[in-house]
Amino acid sequence: MTATRTATTSVAAEGGPAGQADRATPRRSERLSATRKRVHNAAGAALVVAVLAGLWEGYKALGRAVDDVVPGTKIAFPVATDDLSMPHVWSILGALVEPARRGDPMLLGSYLLGETGVTLRESFYGLVAGSSLGLLLAVLFLHVVPLSKGLMPWLVASQTVPLVAIAPMIVIWGGKAGAPPWVAVTGIAAYLAFFPVTINTLRGLKSPPKVQLEFMRSVGAGRWQVLGWLRIPAALPFVFAGLRLAATASVVGAIVGELSAGTGRGIGRAILTFAYYYSNGPEKLYAAVLVAAAAGIVFVQSLALIERVALRHRHTR
Amino acid sequence: MSEAAIISVRGVTKQFTGGNRTVTALEDIDLSIRRGEFVSLLGPSGCGKSTLLRILADLTEPTDGTVSLNGKTPGAARTDRDYGMVFQQAGLFEWRTVQRNVELPLQVAGVDKQTRRAKAHEMLDLVRLSDFARHFPWQLSGGMQQRVAIARALSADPEILFMDEPLGALDEMNRERLQGELLRIWSDTRTTVVFVTHSISEAVFLSSRIVVMSARPGRIAASIDVDLPYPRTAATRTTDAFFAKVTEVRTVLHGVPAEQAAR
Repeated sequence: MTATRTATTSVAAEGGPAGQADRATPRRSERLSATRKRVHNAAGAALVVAVLAGLWEGYKALGRAVDDVVPGTKIAFPVATDDLSMPHVWSILGALVEPARRGDPMLLGSYLLGETGVTLRESFYGLVAGSSLGLLLAVLFLHVVPLSKGLMPWLVASQTVPLVAIAPMIVIWGGKAGAPPWVAVTGIAAYLAFFPVTINTLRGLKSPPKVQLEFMRSVGAGRWQVLGWLRIPAALPFVFAGLRLAATASVVGAIVGELSAGTGRGIGRAILTFAYYYSNGPEKLYAAVLVAAAAGIVFVQSLALIERVALRHRHTR
Repeated sequence: MSEAAIISVRGVTKQFTGGNRTVTALEDIDLSIRRGEFVSLLGPSGCGKSTLLRILADLTEPTDGTVSLNGKTPGAARTDRDYGMVFQQAGLFEWRTVQRNVELPLQVAGVDKQTRRAKAHEMLDLVRLSDFARHFPWQLSGGMQQRVAIARALSADPEILFMDEPLGALDEMNRERLQGELLRIWSDTRTTVVFVTHSISEAVFLSSRIVVMSARPGRIAASIDVDLPYPRTAATRTTDAFFAKVTEVRTVLHGVPAEQAAR
């Protein structure tokens, strides 16, 4: 009889074979396969790097053999393959463990890492400031619809204005206000970071299905309770998608900002210097770009790590 | 009768206006529901049964007429949590455990954590899902999710339970099992239930009274008392009295002779 049925029987019948006892087993094997997946991903990433290095060296070797001209024709290779245009992979990597400057024991690698650290700090502050602003704007736009209608075109416009035009302005304003140069750089990073956060968060805040919104209404939840307990948790996956874009943008913003700011610090500055002295050591510029790219990947990936922890219980990841 | 009515609907009309067309979803509805009744709103799709329930729950407003819930307006009853609501989809919050989903109405009410927890345990006992308190909704079957939704709707001790085709998304076997569970929960909690369905047998099995509605415009065609004795069990479904009641309701619903409709 229905009324006397125990929890276990009704569960077993309803849950089918996926009863509670059985459920622990697939989860453990899921975790195992997750580890395997991670190993596969790492191997894949290493393979991509190896293939890219192989293509670089292969193209260079081919170009050297035929003197940068397609045999039997006068068609030149699109990129010259001499050591000035395309240094060997090993000279780029080797440059990292050589002194950065003559008469200075500091290695290029550690110098670049130090400068990258400066840039990443600026990016991080910019990301925090920009995404905070982005989140606030999204919440504001959700609740004050006319404001979102009126302001959104301007936000879009703000992102289409070339950064090279904006950056010096911000640097000059910062300088006039007596702020240290890194503040202006952070401001530029934030300027690029807020937009994707605003757009994605707004979408996320509007993502809860009708049934969840109506349920909250049915229990008499107020606007802020709906925001805090439904809309914001529901928006989290969207927020993280926005944050990822913002993280990339803030690194770009910081590097471009450094080019405009007279700080003398940061990977952007280092890249500018090495570009200036390119003919003296082309591999140094490539090494700097390599380190900047790697740092950007680490920066964005650490965010992905936070995302994985924050959304670990979500089924749809 | 009207003194004892916990829900009273007077002259409710609902019109939807889209473009230059006005559709009358409900026309001049009068309805009284007494404390402790299990009333089904039964009718074909488009008869406005869900709309009527949504008006009772203050999820939409009537164009005309008055509604009183527990002596209050639907809006006041809603903010006082006088009713709990179960929808066709469970609509659980996927980032919360089962336990914390059930706690949600109490959290909205500002109940302290300890009381909340105890109450949620009690409710999960009621729907027999105590073992799943720490699970997340996606780890549960559809029927189990709907039971969590029932526990959630009842956690703030409402006097009325509104159910909008709550078993509509389930397969036949789960449906019948949950119907039994629902009757047990109803008899345990003594809440007044208003249940929207388009299944005749479901309405007959569950209800103490069936309000049959007709479509275009939505009107109440009949109010049929279901005098089958409680507790009703799986065996009830095979009795002659049950079949006779199903046939009676079907006749009112379709306006067809019994023999023809039974075939």
